[in-house]
Amino acid sequence: MISRQASSIQSAVCLTGLVALHALTCLGSEPVVTENASTASTLKFELDIQPILTARGCNSGPCHGKARGQNGFALSLLGFDANMDFEAIVKNSRGRRLSFASPNESLILNKATGKQPHGGGIRFTESDEEYRLLMNWIQGGVARTTDADPKLLRISVSPDPHSMIALEQESLTVTATYNDGSSRNVTQMCAFQSNEPTIVSIAPNGKLQAGALPGEATIMARYMGKIATWSTAVPRPYPVPNAEYEALPRNNFIDDLVYNKLSTLNVLPSRTCSDSQYVRRLFLDAIGRLPKPEELAAYELDTEPNKRSRWVKSVLDRPEYADFWANKWADLLRPNPYRVGIKATYSLDAWLRDAFRKNLPYDDFVRQIVTAQGSTWRNGAVTIFRDRREPEEITTMVSQLFLGVRLECAKCHQHPFEVYSQADFYGMAAYFAKVGYKGTGLSPPISGGEEIVFAKENGDVKHPLTNQVLPPKALSGMVQPIQPKQDPRVSLADWMLSADNPYVARAAVNRIWAEVIGVGIVEPVDDLRATNPPSNDALLSALASHFREVGFDPKKLLHTIFTSQVYALSSQPNESNAADARNFSRHYRRRLKAEVLSDAISDVTLQNEEFDGMPKETRAMQLWTHRTNSELLDAFARPDPNQDPPCERVVGTSMTQTLHLMNANHIQKRIAADGGRCDQLAKSEKDAATIVSELYLTIFNRKPDESERSLLEAEFAKPNTDRRRMVEDIMWSMLNSPEFLYLD
Amino acid sequence: MLRRSYLQLGLAGLAGGNFLDLLAMRKASASDKAGGAKPKSNCILIWMDGGPTHFETFDPKPEAPVEIRGEFRPIETNVSGIRICEHMPKLAKVADKYAIIRSVCHNQANHGAGNHYMMTGAPPRIPVGCGAFVSFHPSLGSVAAMERPAPHGMPGYFTMPSMSRSGGPNFLGAKYAPFVVANDPNNEQFRVRDVEVPKDLLSERFGKRQDLRRLVDRLPRYSDPQVSDPVSAYDENFQQGYDLVMTPEAQKAFDIHSEPAAIREAYGRNSFGQRALLARRLVDAGVPFVTIYDGGWDHHSDLFGALKKRLPTWDQTVATLINDLDQRGMLETTMVIALGEFGRTPKISTLAGQTKPGRDHWANAMSILFAGGGTRGGQVVGATDRQGHSASERVLSPENYVSTVYRKLGIDPSKIYYTPSGRPTHLVSDHTPIQELM
Repeated sequence: MISRQASSIQSAVCLTGLVALHALTCLGSEPVVTENASTASTLKFELDIQPILTARGCNSGPCHGKARGQNGFALSLLGFDANMDFEAIVKNSRGRRLSFASPNESLILNKATGKQPHGGGIRFTESDEEYRLLMNWIQGGVARTTDADPKLLRISVSPDPHSMIALEQESLTVTATYNDGSSRNVTQMCAFQSNEPTIVSIAPNGKLQAGALPGEATIMARYMGKIATWSTAVPRPYPVPNAEYEALPRNNFIDDLVYNKLSTLNVLPSRTCSDSQYVRRLFLDAIGRLPKPEELAAYELDTEPNKRSRWVKSVLDRPEYADFWANKWADLLRPNPYRVGIKATYSLDAWLRDAFRKNLPYDDFVRQIVTAQGSTWRNGAVTIFRDRREPEEITTMVSQLFLGVRLECAKCHQHPFEVYSQADFYGMAAYFAKVGYKGTGLSPPISGGEEIVFAKENGDVKHPLTNQVLPPKALSGMVQPIQPKQDPRVSLADWMLSADNPYVARAAVNRIWAEVIGVGIVEPVDDLRATNPPSNDALLSALASHFREVGFDPKKLLHTIFTSQVYALSSQPNESNAADARNFSRHYRRRLKAEVLSDAISDVTLQNEEFDGMPKETRAMQLWTHRTNSELLDAFARPDPNQDPPCERVVGTSMTQTLHLMNANHIQKRIAADGGRCDQLAKSEKDAATIVSELYLTIFNRKPDESERSLLEAEFAKPNTDRRRMVEDIMWSMLNSPEFLYLD
Repeated sequence: MLRRSYLQLGLAGLAGGNFLDLLAMRKASASDKAGGAKPKSNCILIWMDGGPTHFETFDPKPEAPVEIRGEFRPIETNVSGIRICEHMPKLAKVADKYAIIRSVCHNQANHGAGNHYMMTGAPPRIPVGCGAFVSFHPSLGSVAAMERPAPHGMPGYFTMPSMSRSGGPNFLGAKYAPFVVANDPNNEQFRVRDVEVPKDLLSERFGKRQDLRRLVDRLPRYSDPQVSDPVSAYDENFQQGYDLVMTPEAQKAFDIHSEPAAIREAYGRNSFGQRALLARRLVDAGVPFVTIYDGGWDHHSDLFGALKKRLPTWDQTVATLINDLDQRGMLETTMVIALGEFGRTPKISTLAGQTKPGRDHWANAMSILFAGGGTRGGQVVGATDRQGHSASERVLSPENYVSTVYRKLGIDPSKIYYTPSGRPTHLVSDHTPIQELM
């Protein structure tokens, strides 16, 4: 699922090179402003010195902050571990980094000012405030905070978030608040990042600059592990009267919430698409195949009430639904068969198809995966545990896939954009500590043996730094204690699927929305966090509540989306929404994905693409591994089986793709095959107009208009026209047109 | 040339080179200053994916302790003072035709990030994991394809048999994605698929189809760039594909079967050898950038066994490619570069579960073979320390290396690009090329 920006699970984000932030933190050059400026005698490491190391980039990912440090000097990434940093500076290497006898000769100062060769260059000079603070701190006896000292509670950004106008400037001030009630202005020591720098950019000193285009941006400020966000919008400068929004057609809550959002930006949605466009979308988005001419005709003739609702239900109930949605999930879960064995890969594939055939509610789907046990040959969900064998691996996958939280960063250090620490990561991992394995032939990469996964009586995970055994602990809320002999994974599933879990439903509806609308409410779809906010929070929340209300029934959720007016908007932009790519004011065009295209060509030509080792009638959507040869599927960028995990899909087109449709032997042969659609049409008694009409309905899923029909009729009527060749040439022309290749 | 560059030249001369080097460089600088237009070079990039060991290729350390120097010995080359690995005897005979860079280094020691840095000249802007396939910045090849359009509708950027990680166009768009030649040119049935009109469609009929297509293609296009209509990219691809199919010069370039048997033998009758030969044909037809993806250099284990088998054929192909280009007078305008994403650890180790030793990822040092495109051969740029731990003389960055390639391609590395959303981006953040190679 989630072909767009599919972020591979295993490969997600390991924080060793925080380059963008590094650049930002290195640039601020104005002196530090401290309202309650400490005097020399009171300078404290945590309060006064660590922020310098962060602001000057010393502890950033590419420098001393990386796991093994730089040239023997290692700091905690972005200063998350004060004990480690103090040890590194004051005690390690026999204390050679500081000189108490003559503080100005301290190695740390000589390096930072470039007096001694420093791979990281000059970070500040002797005339900078940082230099004075470090000097004073060393002179003052390298004091640390005690319990009596103020502790940083939070940071806040002022002024309050508000919308901006194009090209407007604004200054943000970041204030740190301490538990003794004191506060200081830490703007110059913060790292800032804008998620949409074209809309609103931010300089290292907190100066905001709105761009020329309308849109929205969220600014993140980070100071000593605390994060604050500041969201703003730059609306179009031409107000739209409320009456125009009130007059828009609305089918359900989705429309209300999308229009509410659009009204804050002075954007109006596009008009409604045509009926034939709607039906084409519905078939391709719900079940991944083109509607047939007779289905289009039946839709047109249907005059009974609740037409769309009934059609959506009946399309979702077709058997192709299972293969189409199983294929999306297979993108996310399908292991490399060279790693887990062919039979285990196949059993996972069968399990997924069965889940969607039965319309397994999403909560059951999640529970059956998270608590899977038994044989990899009998219960496909178990294959996931065969693939991700360590608690760390499965934790990363489960959190990214089902919680929408990219916890991977916290495996090695505090998450830089989130509240999660290593304790949180290993607390989650502890739920998987008692996963036991028995079986044979298990040595990767090539091992096809059967394996049994079960709940062991013992097993734990340790915090990698403190070596402390961590009990299972969920990311939020209170959790029922785990009973002796109970599989901790059951407790994890209970937490995930409890009524007040804040993650699972939102992550799920965002994925499903992105699949059928083309863009997630949060992008990337599996990265939900305060610093990457949804484009429409009200919509995301409402969809999540709705999903719970319908018992996590995916078909019911899809029904709600498909019957909304928003789903039926045209792709044609109007005056106000050309720039909109995130707020669903128009339909976003997409290319058909590889398997859908392969099956569509099979349906159009009535000649199936043939796959090695599979029955002749097999559709691409039914393939169980990407290792099946297919030039077409490769050209149109199915996930690459040589990547591990093989879940990346590239959208967009390339010349390789257009050349393939233009010239590939297998497509040419299928167009010209005896018994194929062209042959059948040419041999039939049908007149040219009827043939043209059938080709349009089959390939573009609409009737030809008058001029199209008459122009092509005239082609048939030319002297010496070979009827069969003419049909073939028209089919080729249509298959090579974007109206076929794109979902409009 | 800027004043500052003279200063740098002076320093480089003091640091390692000899007086003649310095004179040669000054001469080059002078001609640069005089505005003498250098011919634009094309590039054949041999991408040794996985990170080739520098110890067992171009930076042997025979004086280091045994756990560092490994099993192989160095041999002399035809340039006095330059020694390379004993399993590359053919390259040793043509060392006067290429330069070796021993001092490029960076800080991205996992495959995903290292590929990105060396393929694009930009460090990944958010952290990436080892297996990741990331793209934050356009690759060398994609930029070449955009800046240096190839004739006859040919793609400006080919890659075989598959795209390397981070080898894509990023914000330049799918139009500048590499054209992948996946099948094996060593196969007797080899043809570049999909670039010829199917035999049973006479050209007249193919033309007829184009006319019909113009008639049926009526999907509205949204030309306002703010809309980002994906169909625009499709249209460009279609037109370029059509041009390619219709041009005989392009078709000829793909016909590797027309090469004399002796040439095909010399390159090596294996996939890698024949890909190198096809790369030469493509460059000859005017393609500015060809990447040969040469995977499998991630030798965590069985380093010596694997390289004993692999290096001799690799050596033959690369040496033949350089010689062949030279004999055809093409070397002066064709770069041949071989490198991977990083070097490998000095200390040989055996991973848990393995029996044969190897070396692990190491971004503090690596070696790059750099021939042609006006590069003075027979020189070594920079050096690593005595144990190959890190670049110690003339320390260079991936940015320096990538800027060198851009300059030779005739592309200004200090150029600013704008992403589709209008964000300005430097092509290379530090656009100083490696002066010794210019």
